[in-house]
Amino acid sequence: MNKFHLLQFHALLQREILEHRNMFIMAPAILAGLILLFSVWAMTRMGQDTVSISIEYMALLFDGLSPLEMAPMFMIPAIPFIGIFYFCAIIYLMNSLYQDRQELSILFWQSMPVSNLNTVLSKLVTIGMVAPLFYIATMFALYVIALFWLAILGWSYDIEVAGLGYMFLAAVVSLIFVYLSIVTTALWLLPTIGWVVLFSAFAKRTPILWAIGVFILVGFLEEFIFGTQFLGNFVQSRSTPTQYLILDFQDVVERLINYDMLFGIMVGSILLAGAVYMRRFID
Amino acid sequence: MSNIVEARALTKTYGSLKALDGINLTIPTGAISGLIGPNGAGKTTALKALIGLCDVEGELNVAGMDPRAARHKLMEDVCFIADVGILPKWFKVSQLIDYVAGVHPKFDRIKTGEYLSTTDIPANKRIKELSKGMVTQLHLALVMAIDVKLLVLDEPTLGLDIIYRKEFYDRLLNDYYDGDRTIVISTHQVEEIEALLTHLNFINNGEIVLSAMMTDLADIYTEVVVDPEQIAQADALNPIHIRELLGKKSYTFESVPKAQLQPLGEIYTPSVADLFVAKMKDSRHE
Repeated sequence: MNKFHLLQFHALLQREILEHRNMFIMAPAILAGLILLFSVWAMTRMGQDTVSISIEYMALLFDGLSPLEMAPMFMIPAIPFIGIFYFCAIIYLMNSLYQDRQELSILFWQSMPVSNLNTVLSKLVTIGMVAPLFYIATMFALYVIALFWLAILGWSYDIEVAGLGYMFLAAVVSLIFVYLSIVTTALWLLPTIGWVVLFSAFAKRTPILWAIGVFILVGFLEEFIFGTQFLGNFVQSRSTPTQYLILDFQDVVERLINYDMLFGIMVGSILLAGAVYMRRFID
Repeated sequence: MSNIVEARALTKTYGSLKALDGINLTIPTGAISGLIGPNGAGKTTALKALIGLCDVEGELNVAGMDPRAARHKLMEDVCFIADVGILPKWFKVSQLIDYVAGVHPKFDRIKTGEYLSTTDIPANKRIKELSKGMVTQLHLALVMAIDVKLLVLDEPTLGLDIIYRKEFYDRLLNDYYDGDRTIVISTHQVEEIEALLTHLNFINNGEIVLSAMMTDLADIYTEVVVDPEQIAQADALNPIHIRELLGKKSYTFESVPKAQLQPLGEIYTPSVADLFVAKMKDSRHE
């Protein structure tokens, strides 16, 4: 891959972000704004005593903990962001190779010297690695505002807020965990992603119905013909939420290097190759 | 002169419909070649095949490559404009230019800027906010700044008013075409491009029904306003088309020597539009 190919891939990623700025930039920003508004509203409803007790309780909770130990607790406020991100990711993947066919802009995209493989890869990298960064950046801004606010409250109520620096470090570590969780989840769910993208490239309309409908049909046929439930079990084995969380750097290695992960990546890659093939001709 | 496009026995079917029925198409390098046909004749399918967007059977070579195997590589040497609706509507003009500059190795941003500076297109507007004419101007500005061997235009001025249509083709001829580049234009509005063309191809029902150099048309086709007493002799020469013209009958002949036609009445070289009508009706009767 030479310098031009890197620049070209960068342009493809930029295009994805611009096209889906509402999902990747506006959605987390609005959520952060709502959380801030709610927090301000809640603070105005509390008395000074309640605020003081809350700050002291938090200080007690974190007392003696290292940033690495605090980090999992800082992941709790990330839950709504992760939820919104996954919701947007499903919509994004469903439309990834469908929407441009619908609105005929595919004729423009295909008139550029960009391979279908790079197009599909750019969409995967966008959703698995780039888009989460915007969510992480928004959460980081939210955490900084929250810690700044905590410092001001402590100062105004004359409470010593110890360990703010540690809390900041814990927030940063927690965001790294959130990012790693999303990236490993993307790899873990590559078969699902591949399946969705395949139908996004194939369906003439409503790709979500195709993706779900064909899956149910194939599962039913498997059970009817072979009497097995491999497909159902395969999906079920990948649907426990705790599988996706990284709460320690050690978890990353364990999640990435194991037979199930490699098998999933292989299945997902085959499905994605199918999507690239389907993308070759637009009629 | 070498050929930039060579297609042999191209066939494409959609169910029972034959969109392309074994067509042969040769386009020399440096030509401005028209692919003219009525709606549904197979023009768009043929052009999509040329740029690898349509899976066809047959032999196909465009700029030394098989578009089916190397579309993205081919698109470094080929540009394509379909009708006006295909630019992504959510892009701002400046973002679109950035994108093309990012992905196309032969794009010259300065040239696009120069071209756009002669239009009313603002860089900060989204495509969806531009008029149809502006979108076409913008697309042409992008394409004219890409140094390619072949430009494929599929009904590029569809839905535009006469001013934009005329300006589009003026720009194309004066600012883009240099004699080395090849342009293929498909349209069903024959009169609009007649003066531009060096080569002419008529397509109907998925078949090429005429393929000739513009300079050869006068030698091959003759229109005769036949004197009433010569009607029987004219009928005997197998005209490809007969039409009523101010109370007289006008016959179009193909490959009949002019000396043989001279005694029948006044002879003319048919316009491309008249020839188009003649060949379309002729091909329906075959």
